[in-house]
Amino acid sequence: MELLPQALVDGIMLGAIYIIIAIAFSLVYGVMHVIDFAVGEWIMLGAFGGYYLFQWTRIEPLLLLPAVFVVFAAIGYPLQPLIHRVLSGRRGNPLLMGLVFTFGLSLMFRGLAQTFFGFYSLSIPSRFSNGSFFFQNGGLSVTISSVRLTGLVYALVITGILNYLLKHTDFGLGVRALAQNRDAAGLMGVNNKRTSAYVYAIYVGISAMTGVLIGMILSLSAKMGPDYTTFAFFVVVLAGMGYLAGVPAAAFLLGIIQSFFLIYLDPGYTLLAVFVLLYTILLVSPRGLFGKGV
Amino acid sequence: MRRAVWLALIAVAVLASPLRAEEKRDFFKIGVVTELSGDLATGGNVTKRGYDLWAEAVNKTGGIAIGGKKYQVKLYYADAQSNPSQGAAAAERLITQEKVDFILGPYSSGVTIAVAPVVEKYKVPMITGSAESPLIWKQKFLYTFGTIPPVNFTGAAAIQTLVGLSPAPRTAVIFGSNDTFSKATAEAFDGAAKKAGIKVLKFNIVPAGQDLTPLMSAVKVLNPDIVAFGGHDEELIKLVKSLRQIDFTPKALLMHYGVTEPAFVDALKKDANQTFGGAVWTATEKTKGKILWKDAPTYAATAMKAFNVPADYTQAGSSAAGIAFQVALEKIKATPPVSEAKRAELVKELEKVDVETFYGRVKFATEGDFYHSNVGLNPLTIQIQNGRVVVVGPKTNAEMKAQYPMTPWSKR
Repeated sequence: MELLPQALVDGIMLGAIYIIIAIAFSLVYGVMHVIDFAVGEWIMLGAFGGYYLFQWTRIEPLLLLPAVFVVFAAIGYPLQPLIHRVLSGRRGNPLLMGLVFTFGLSLMFRGLAQTFFGFYSLSIPSRFSNGSFFFQNGGLSVTISSVRLTGLVYALVITGILNYLLKHTDFGLGVRALAQNRDAAGLMGVNNKRTSAYVYAIYVGISAMTGVLIGMILSLSAKMGPDYTTFAFFVVVLAGMGYLAGVPAAAFLLGIIQSFFLIYLDPGYTLLAVFVLLYTILLVSPRGLFGKGV
Repeated sequence: MRRAVWLALIAVAVLASPLRAEEKRDFFKIGVVTELSGDLATGGNVTKRGYDLWAEAVNKTGGIAIGGKKYQVKLYYADAQSNPSQGAAAAERLITQEKVDFILGPYSSGVTIAVAPVVEKYKVPMITGSAESPLIWKQKFLYTFGTIPPVNFTGAAAIQTLVGLSPAPRTAVIFGSNDTFSKATAEAFDGAAKKAGIKVLKFNIVPAGQDLTPLMSAVKVLNPDIVAFGGHDEELIKLVKSLRQIDFTPKALLMHYGVTEPAFVDALKKDANQTFGGAVWTATEKTKGKILWKDAPTYAATAMKAFNVPADYTQAGSSAAGIAFQVALEKIKATPPVSEAKRAELVKELEKVDVETFYGRVKFATEGDFYHSNVGLNPLTIQIQNGRVVVVGPKTNAEMKAQYPMTPWSKR
């Protein structure tokens, strides 16, 4: 009981990390119908981008996030036509083709990162990394790390911005139209190629910023990608493939389950618990927690 | 008809190729199976540096001296990709296709355990310059040796050092990552702590690579004197950051391998200070070598010049693995290619090796639970002080007094 508030807070903070890993991944699946296996590698490359940018400028890494977004969005934008080419044309089973292509990209990025950045683990120093807030009321106490709280705020801000973009702008209307029916959206004047390229650029930019935050909260290395790809996949499947609004709830649920297992039950079975949850949800509701996935 | 002629020509070319001829060479072919990519690439590349340094040094002297002639060594690398089954396949490929004379083994215990039955099957001797799990030696593989003592030998010494500090620690929380080495490390800490009368409040094996912050929150409530963790490089960094973020400073933070890696200090800066670890060699140790390097500082200087990274005990152990082979080959006068009979003789000679090196004494056990592991070394307790690795125990080897209890994170 003494640890209950801490377990909840830790779960929410873990969930915040999962939101930022998965939200753009869900968006890109919803619009382009691509399960991007390179999501972990975009996070890794973003983390290194932030690390070297910090080494160069010595500016607080949080303030570097917009610059990281711009650089990586610019990298992601011209890549989308390549993915489009893989998915379209006379090739059968576009979903599988997308999987194979992005899996190849992830292997290539990881290999290049090991060659250029080396194999050591690094960390992005931030003035937010050192502080924490402590609250006590009677026998109950909670410690909130300031850098994790920053991660939570970032997750909520990104979710809010994406929500606004999708629901209150013409661009968002086009994106939603494309997600629903590509042909009909085209007939209504939505430029499929350009809109998809913007979405992919936004996804790569957000993933890269996420990498910087993860480098501040945890660590970064050339081999970090696959772990985050796995969790992005977990969250998106739990939320319902392509159902963006379900991502925060799924991420918080995953984080809280992990936190409770680590604190109250056997930490050795944490991942097993997550797998069992995922399996059960898929069995009962194959379209995710809210039944609204693709 | 034309196709048949082409096929016949190719067949003739293949049959006549020098590869098919009885192999004759004047250099030793040494296979190296280690983790050059994947999760354990950091440690794998540390072993590579150690093996490369030995090969370069021995070739600089002309090679391994056998009966008045010197034979150069050539390393043939195979990437285990941090995966035991890939490691086993890589070893088989080196033995059957490259026809290596012997093998320098993997970084991790998990891959070593998978490779050991393969070298046993083909009767090819292997020395690992890194693997530390006691499970390897308990299986008594005839063809597998190791230059680093098992972790239950080294880990216990660190606990003994902590027990001698004032105020003596009374409680501990111990956990390890779920891989062969890390589990063995946690079990070694657990066994030694209980033996020393320290109450173990919590013992857990956790999934590898996880964010352990919630678990650390539970640990904070228990308020143990010692937090001991068996894990690899990135996990250790994450753990220190977690403790920092929840603002819990135990009296002593004990880890094992990884603390001595330069990346640990680079990533954590002042938060790395005062972390304890276990080691069997440091760059400042007073050793007297007879082969290639005269002492630890000379080796460390050569390594620094070659790689611009400070050498740790895994790198040193990997170079020492090469020296052990060198000594045994010279003794039995085996020339390349080494036949199966000579390889059996090499194993017998390795069992007799007892040599002082820059790394310390290399002497493989020939019986008991440490079978074929190096038992010639004294385990050291190290601590990071001002960003440097210093020996703080046992008293006979200590360079500095241990900084204990740890300075709270907020006062650093």
